[in-house]
Amino acid sequence: MEFGWSPEQSQHRARVRALLARELPADWDDIAVHGPGSDAQTAFSKIFCKKLANEGLLISHWPREYGGNDMTVWDQFIMGEELWAAGEPRGPQYMNVNWIGPVLMRYGNAAQKAEYFPQIASGSVIWCQGFSEPSAGSDLASLRTRADKVEGGYLVNGAKVWTSYAGLATHCFLLARTASAGKGAIVILLLDMASPGVQVKQIPALIGEGDIHEVFFTDVFVPAQNLLGEEGQAWEIITFALQNERIGIPRYAFSRRMLDRAAEKLKADGRFENPVVRDRAGRALALCEAARMMVYRVVHQRATQAPQDAYGNLARWAIIQADHAVNDFMTEFMPEGLLGEDQMQIAHHQRAIAAGIASGAAEIQLNLAARRYLDLPSEPRRGL
Amino acid sequence: MDYDFTEDQAAILGGLEQLIGSLNIEPPKDAVFSAYSQPLDDELTAGGYLDITSQEGFGLLDGALIVEQLAQLPVSVEAATSVLIAPVFLEDTTRRPVAILAGALTKPARFLPMAKTLLADIGDDLLRIEIPEGAVEEVATLFAYPYGRLKNPENLPRVSLGSAQLPTFRRRWRIAIAVESSGLMQSALNLVLEHVKTRQQFGRPIGSFQAIQHRLVMAAELGQAVRWLGLRAAWSDSESDAAIAATFAQDAIPRFCTDLHQFCGAMGLTLEFPLHHWTYRLRALLGELGGSSAQAIAAADATWGQK
Ligand SMILES: Cc1cc2nc3c(=O)[nH]c(=O)nc-3n(C[C@H](O)[C@H](O)[C@H](O)COP(=O)(O)OP(=O)(O)OC[C@H]3O[C@@H](n4cnc5c(N)ncnc54)[C@H](O)[C@@H]3O)c2cc1C
Repeated sequence: MEFGWSPEQSQHRARVRALLARELPADWDDIAVHGPGSDAQTAFSKIFCKKLANEGLLISHWPREYGGNDMTVWDQFIMGEELWAAGEPRGPQYMNVNWIGPVLMRYGNAAQKAEYFPQIASGSVIWCQGFSEPSAGSDLASLRTRADKVEGGYLVNGAKVWTSYAGLATHCFLLARTASAGKGAIVILLLDMASPGVQVKQIPALIGEGDIHEVFFTDVFVPAQNLLGEEGQAWEIITFALQNERIGIPRYAFSRRMLDRAAEKLKADGRFENPVVRDRAGRALALCEAARMMVYRVVHQRATQAPQDAYGNLARWAIIQADHAVNDFMTEFMPEGLLGEDQMQIAHHQRAIAAGIASGAAEIQLNLAARRYLDLPSEPRRGL
Repeated sequence: MDYDFTEDQAAILGGLEQLIGSLNIEPPKDAVFSAYSQPLDDELTAGGYLDITSQEGFGLLDGALIVEQLAQLPVSVEAATSVLIAPVFLEDTTRRPVAILAGALTKPARFLPMAKTLLADIGDDLLRIEIPEGAVEEVATLFAYPYGRLKNPENLPRVSLGSAQLPTFRRRWRIAIAVESSGLMQSALNLVLEHVKTRQQFGRPIGSFQAIQHRLVMAAELGQAVRWLGLRAAWSDSESDAAIAATFAQDAIPRFCTDLHQFCGAMGLTLEFPLHHWTYRLRALLGELGGSSAQAIAAADATWGQK
């Protein structure tokens, strides 16, 4: 047991930091305030991801046979930590490399790999995740979007909601169903967002520009070769995908950076001498560091190829607490930031208020951990 | 970054488990508020567990793992101070058990009834006081540690260790609070998990009610966070890590203890049910070194400074 970094890991972190210092433009904070899905950040992601690719860092955690570099789990994670703390200059493309790619590696056929990997590896495509629907949120299996079998493929009709990055996406990882009920009737379609019949509408929200959308499908034809895996296999694939997604975002790293920044500001204003302020800052700090240590435990499990348990759900709960604490601290002691004085604080606020909802609601994490981590008997109920 | 035990750590903890097993330690059958185990103390001393940090190849983290494991027992023994704090300040480490105190010398302190040495943080100095027979009166308490108070502290010879020692003393104390809390939380949680899986109401185990499940997961999360923060602090022995770990622990203790007792109903309020042997040690740790705000301010100061 030890809680330090090896010299190689420290070097790797320094390399990522140096790259960020070199490649992020002077007005990066102005670009990053709108969130990974904004026009500006999506546009920048295409420049930045190409640079990462040139440095061999975009997909370096992928296996060599897929163009990666077999980078270790820890090195991949260190990179994610640094990039998220910096405001995620990969924009929406973190999804491509973190889970779309790995899912395709495991379940895609040769033609799909040949088509999608070079695009992802060059940093030029944007994928979105078409899971949630108006009547299927936490209860994902109740989704209704239809994929009716027709000559040569599927005809898709229905609607998705809360779809991040859909406005600028080139592809969608789409869930739909071939029959009216059951997990077994769900299929995964790799959809070209330029297909006729796809309509995207941005949803005005508290969480910033360009993040969430409605996506409507009217008689959208998807060729049979765009089916991922077999019919009937979708739930297994979704479970694998969500495992890769769930703690993919080291949110506490951004919260910790914001808290450091808040302390400096409050000191400069003479407000940090107030012990009440320091008390509250110290508590928020403890929550950030708790989330970090819980997440590292999950990464350690992955790095040592130990079987995955529900520790990730527990860690998600810790992450949510940290995001909320830092946000609440700044809202209480630095309200001026939300009154237009600090764009980064507004950006953090917009991320933090979604922390307990996006990628699986907080209570669902508690449900899963109750059953799978504490081994408690299940409450008679349907679904999760 | 490695969350697994090294071979040495696994061997030491395995040995400790055997030692504990050989003593057949059970929750006390009598209706007592606390139980101190002298036989366990004797065995730990004989087995060299308490001076692990001075042994070649071992350090504070290994000591912390021992303290954490001992805290899981339903009986108490003075290990945290002897292992994590005293080696820095005692010339003769056999003069133990060691009690610790912050504030006036007349304040009650854990383990004082059996302590041979007291280390006292009196604000501007760290004092070491050897405790002769008969110098301590016992203090009756709900807390599940033996507590005592010096009868006439002014009459006892003392060694001034100097204010320069205070940061180290407080840092190690904070680490001890977190690490001991971690062990206590694990056992308390395990007991309550067992209870909610077997206790039936409305025709089902109460642990199948979501209202209870969610709060138990939150309690589990608190326990795990205390664990990793405490062990990291023992590994780094740094001011900020130690203060962060103690902040989290003391911040978590009230919620953790209240919920765990709640789920055991009236049974949880009895001395027959052993939960209090862990939760009333946690509640004792809650107020140490000034409580959670003092730790949080220390964490902020160690991390950012005041100016
Ligand atoms: C910023 C953001 C980005 C998103 N991006 C995407 C995306 O790209 N693609 C996509 O498909 N989706 C996306 N989502 C949707 C997200 O996955 C859902 O919001 C989430 O799964 C919760 O579903 P819901 O909003 O319908 O809430 P609901 O499921 O209606 O939940 C509301 C509340 O009820 C609770 N609840 C529900 N069921 C239970 C239960 N069994 N026990 C206890 N409590 C329960 C929930 O925990 C929550 O507190 C995004 C959401 C946000 C906020």
